Amino acid sequence: MNAPLETARFGSGAVVRRIEDPALVRGQGRYTDDVTLPGQAWLAFLRSDRAHARINSIDTDSARALPGVLAIYTGADLLAAGVKAIPVPPSFKQPGGQPMSTAPKLALAHEFVRFVGEAVVAIVADSRDAAKAAVNAVMVDYEDLPAVSDAQRATALGAPLVWAGAPGNIVAESRHGDAAATEAAFAQAACRVALDIVNQRLAPVTMEPRSVLACTGEGRLTLRMSSQMPSGVRNSLADIVPGCTKDNVRVVVGDVGGGFGMKTGIYPEDVVVAWAALQLGRPVKWQAERVEDFLAAVHGRSQISHAELALDAQGHVLALRVRTLANVGAYPSGTSLAIPLLIGPWVSTSIYHVPVVSMQISGVLTHNAPTGAYRGAGRPEAIYIMERLLDAAAREMKLDSAELRRRNMVKPTQMPYRNAMGQVYDSGQFERILDQGLLLADWAGFDTRRAATGAKGKLRGRGIATFLEWTGGNALEENVRVDVTADGFIEITSATMAMGQGIATSYVQLAHDVFGVPLERIRVLQGDTDRANGFGSAGSRSLFTGGAAVRVASEKTVDEGKKLAGEALEAPAGDIEYQAGRFTVAGTDLSIGLFDLAQRQGGGRLTVSASATAAAPSWPNGCHVAEVEIDPATGDVQVVAYASVNDIGRIVSPTIVQGQVEGGAVQGIGQALCEQVVYDADSAQLLSASFMDYALPRVDGFRAFKTAFDQSVPCLTNTLGAKGVGELGTIGATPAVVNAVVDALARTGLGRRAEQVQMPLTAEVVWRALRGEFAPPLNLPA
Amino acid sequence: MPSLNFTLNGKATRVDADNHTLLVDLLRGPLALTGTHQGCDTAQCGCCTVLLDGESVKACSMLALQVQGRAVTTVEGLAKQDGTLHPVQEAFIACHGLQCGFCTPGMMMSATCLLQRNPQPTDAQIEDALEGNLCRCTGYVNIVAAVKQAGAVMAGGAQ
Repeated sequence: MNAPLETARFGSGAVVRRIEDPALVRGQGRYTDDVTLPGQAWLAFLRSDRAHARINSIDTDSARALPGVLAIYTGADLLAAGVKAIPVPPSFKQPGGQPMSTAPKLALAHEFVRFVGEAVVAIVADSRDAAKAAVNAVMVDYEDLPAVSDAQRATALGAPLVWAGAPGNIVAESRHGDAAATEAAFAQAACRVALDIVNQRLAPVTMEPRSVLACTGEGRLTLRMSSQMPSGVRNSLADIVPGCTKDNVRVVVGDVGGGFGMKTGIYPEDVVVAWAALQLGRPVKWQAERVEDFLAAVHGRSQISHAELALDAQGHVLALRVRTLANVGAYPSGTSLAIPLLIGPWVSTSIYHVPVVSMQISGVLTHNAPTGAYRGAGRPEAIYIMERLLDAAAREMKLDSAELRRRNMVKPTQMPYRNAMGQVYDSGQFERILDQGLLLADWAGFDTRRAATGAKGKLRGRGIATFLEWTGGNALEENVRVDVTADGFIEITSATMAMGQGIATSYVQLAHDVFGVPLERIRVLQGDTDRANGFGSAGSRSLFTGGAAVRVASEKTVDEGKKLAGEALEAPAGDIEYQAGRFTVAGTDLSIGLFDLAQRQGGGRLTVSASATAAAPSWPNGCHVAEVEIDPATGDVQVVAYASVNDIGRIVSPTIVQGQVEGGAVQGIGQALCEQVVYDADSAQLLSASFMDYALPRVDGFRAFKTAFDQSVPCLTNTLGAKGVGELGTIGATPAVVNAVVDALARTGLGRRAEQVQMPLTAEVVWRALRGEFAPPLNLPA
Repeated sequence: MPSLNFTLNGKATRVDADNHTLLVDLLRGPLALTGTHQGCDTAQCGCCTVLLDGESVKACSMLALQVQGRAVTTVEGLAKQDGTLHPVQEAFIACHGLQCGFCTPGMMMSATCLLQRNPQPTDAQIEDALEGNLCRCTGYVNIVAAVKQAGAVMAGGAQ
């Protein structure tokens, strides 16, 4: 057929409506729990209500006798059947240099439980109600053991051990930089500032909780689930579950109701559901309740640091020194350790020239839920430290906080710039972004606004964060397959994963650039390991790796089409021109349509695969400025202005990137002002296990964003010139808002004492700070 | 099992429902209307919001039998029979008021309830109406913009 041709441009850079939206607003999305298979059984978990205990015995007899119960599995059952622990790569070393050792991360606990919410027993029944009723009938005889709820207590002398193989509860440690040179720089510094920094534990909170539906058939296992990394889940199952191989496991992902890093690696629950379906030979579904995600989905951040900055008399940074304890919970993973031990340090000097650094980071075991990736994953923590330190130094030196930043920024002439951690920035004009940010925020007009706020009896503060982030997850290659079909569609198949970020729309725009056919003729296929395999979507990587591959594969398809068109039209390929869905012999009216050409190929489709590899990570950066008002009577903080200028290189979808930055910023504001996972200090019971206890930002927060982009500094290490965007807002917002609150407090006469406040800056924390009350200082081990 | 008669998206509907079945489970299960989502277990997230006789309610907090003889509208009932989108749906797309889309049906039902009564709400009235709906992606910025835009269309008589 001949598709209607269209010349209007909807390609990269154009404002278009998202192709994802029509189905979603009609309620026709297809999230995992929207699918019900014939004969489907339900799985429910009995979870530990103890933070640390020995399992003496598990009595499942009463549960087994209940109506509808099909199967009951314990940790012992899985071990006996050969189900392995989830592997943890020994990427790091213990402080003494010995190899890492971790408790086996079992799909169901065996002999011991190590955090509240750990899955202990799985019950499959013919209905969800029956499975849950049977869970309540299981009797577990626990012998309580002492628990540690936070990193400071866990590293104190005589603390109960989470795992005997990790002395002092330090599972891994990394040291970076040059301790002696840093010490020398501090010794000669004109200004030294030091801060205790708490990056509190957060819950990622995707609105769609985790969900898994497994079924078997034709010798294969198919998992339908909500995941950012279907290939990774498939590969892990092949490692863990007897009989599973990469070939006989298929992971299918439909619509994903938010990811934010929380839906990356394999979870114990995924293993159990897969195992149950294999055993029973019928479909098995597990749908997490919200409390289960609060208890047992990964948490983020959870780092405490003592951080110091040395500067010369002109305000030039001489050295950065950081000591960090990262509470990785009871069961670390490669990701949960890399985030604090490696990824954070990579960006710790941010956009500033810092000659020398010294960092010591310990991964600490506690009886908390495991940590993992959460939007930013290491970068928000590191950038927060630097931006807090710079404000402290500006206050100490009585310099404008923007001016101090300006003096330390890496200059465009220094590009490519290698930072003190060895990371190389390809591009960036940080001072240019700063200048625009100050203008957009009307930095100079602050005093007038502060006076107006004061006249209302409130306090006003201003905070700035200028920063960058590392993106790409060090997975810089992507492969894309393009299929041109005889029925008039171009299918783009990619292993990157949609999770609400609108990546399909961006891909369609990029493909439109090359093919010039209407957007509705271009489809994106994702989320099926039988079609495509790769890293998946995380670390703000999808556009600049996958999008680059879309462009390359599309161009290659047109080139291939020219050859085939030449054969069809009996002309040399070099004489064939392509425009808007039609190949033409130059200078003639001989032509053939793209889709007609596909019709002539075997199977009625023209198929081309191509890869693109970014030469290096991209380094998006920005200047975010927040202003807050504080009610001194209550301590209530309102963000009243938020201006940001962002360099994310070349933009494909303007609407989408603005949504990413502003939505991301609200998550960052959530960390600054309200969100916190709380474990009871003594019992290590989770106290924030519902939306009534975990304070998510709501609609009545701040909305008046001013958001701008500067596209004049394209990324030089990928063909699109694009830089990642998914995590930028989250990284910038937290320090900008906290710096604004500290500024307001400091101006009340508290001065530098105000820097003792720790997130989240709830009304109570701020109210107490105004009265000179602060949390006790940290006491980190050497 | 008790029999339940009610109007669902404008159509007379008869279905059997257990005494303890929640409205959300009836909609998503036997009635296969999966646009109504379930995002929590404490009636906080609002993903399951539907209209009951025009009032927004959380379908996780009602027994199915409570809608006996009443009219329920879910997200599937927002668009016209011919498929034309409701102004609220149009505005959510136009204003980029959704990302992952999971909270969106509940958000739109709460917004529709508000706008049917008051098509030109103030910011405070929008905040009040959407207080029971959580979104993790958008930061609410574009949701509020979408509600305003939809209200303007509805006030202009386009609906």
